[in-house]
Amino acid sequence: MIDLLLAYITLTLFGMVLLGIYGVVTRSNLIKKIIMLNIMGDAVNMLFILIGYRIVFPVFPPIYEEHITFEEFLSRAVDPTPQALVLTAIVIGMAMNILLATYAIQFYRLHGTVDARDIAEIIGGEGE
Amino acid sequence: MKRDVIVAVSFLLAFLFMAYALVYANVLGLGGAELRPLGEFYLSHSFAHEGLTSHSPEVVTAIVWNYRGFDTLFETFVFFLAIMGAFSVLRLTDEQEKLVKELEAREPHRQMDLIVRAITKLVVIMIVAISASIALHGHLTPGGGFQGGSAMAVASLLLFAAFSKFTLERKGLTVKHTVSAYALGLALILATVLAPVFLYGGKVLEINLLPGEMGLFNLDVGEYLAVTFGFLTVFLVLGVSEWIFKTVLRGEVND
Repeated sequence: MIDLLLAYITLTLFGMVLLGIYGVVTRSNLIKKIIMLNIMGDAVNMLFILIGYRIVFPVFPPIYEEHITFEEFLSRAVDPTPQALVLTAIVIGMAMNILLATYAIQFYRLHGTVDARDIAEIIGGEGE
Repeated sequence: MKRDVIVAVSFLLAFLFMAYALVYANVLGLGGAELRPLGEFYLSHSFAHEGLTSHSPEVVTAIVWNYRGFDTLFETFVFFLAIMGAFSVLRLTDEQEKLVKELEAREPHRQMDLIVRAITKLVVIMIVAISASIALHGHLTPGGGFQGGSAMAVASLLLFAAFSKFTLERKGLTVKHTVSAYALGLALILATVLAPVFLYGGKVLEINLLPGEMGLFNLDVGEYLAVTFGFLTVFLVLGVSEWIFKTVLRGEVND
């Protein structure tokens, strides 16, 4: 039962990653692209955390408490490595988000559009 | 239209392939009761021996401070680059800033009604308290400077929505002051990182030479200040009304 649940959650997250890529590729509105990029990033972070999960009962967070022995802690606690990685990834994602949102807003103020096709026309790139 | 269908079908096929690989072949190794060797190493070593920087009983915090200190430091630099990139795109010359001030003086000071304002005041006080509690012992428990700073940024956004940009500026939170506070936070981080080299002859970031837990606490407070005021700076510059910015910028384009 729990295996089925885990597979379901994982597949949902993979679906969200693919949905994010699909949105970034097909939408032409920059704001929508940024939103889809965020959905993709969050799904990837969730997937990382999920990889560190263990199917034992009861499962502990990786916080050592005095009233349990160290062996019991080792056999119950989840893997802390993915969590430590995701901590950095979230900050970098936030920084990237600020930068992208600011550029989109400024481009809208200067040229009055956030449509990728119009932008290609404005900056003279080889758009379709 | 036809291209959209092809893209959608190819994504669906990729999803089915991944589903097969995950559920039947279990390529990621999900759902075992066993720990991976790396996770076991970190669980048993990250706070078990002496001479490490962090005394945290929480393994994620201990990993971040004991093994990935430079990671956390350069994370601050990435955040600095992002804020400076946003700030340099939104910059104005002195004359343009004067023009913005003149135009803003003519704008009516709109704010939400009394109920929203009163409740926002209460909520903002609570958020500030919680963010301080997250940040100030972030070197021991889950949380830390960035998390506390993000919570604080939410408080400033609430003030923006319920009152206005001008209320904040009247209280002294002008762009100049917030940038100064941001620089202060970064200076605190740099001073803490470089202090072991100059005071004790150690290496960069060897902060366990400093007395007690001062090093980690300083890094936490520095990050808290930097994130809070970094966000607030960008919000203040973005908070200039759309039509004012457009007027000023169109003037630049016509020159």
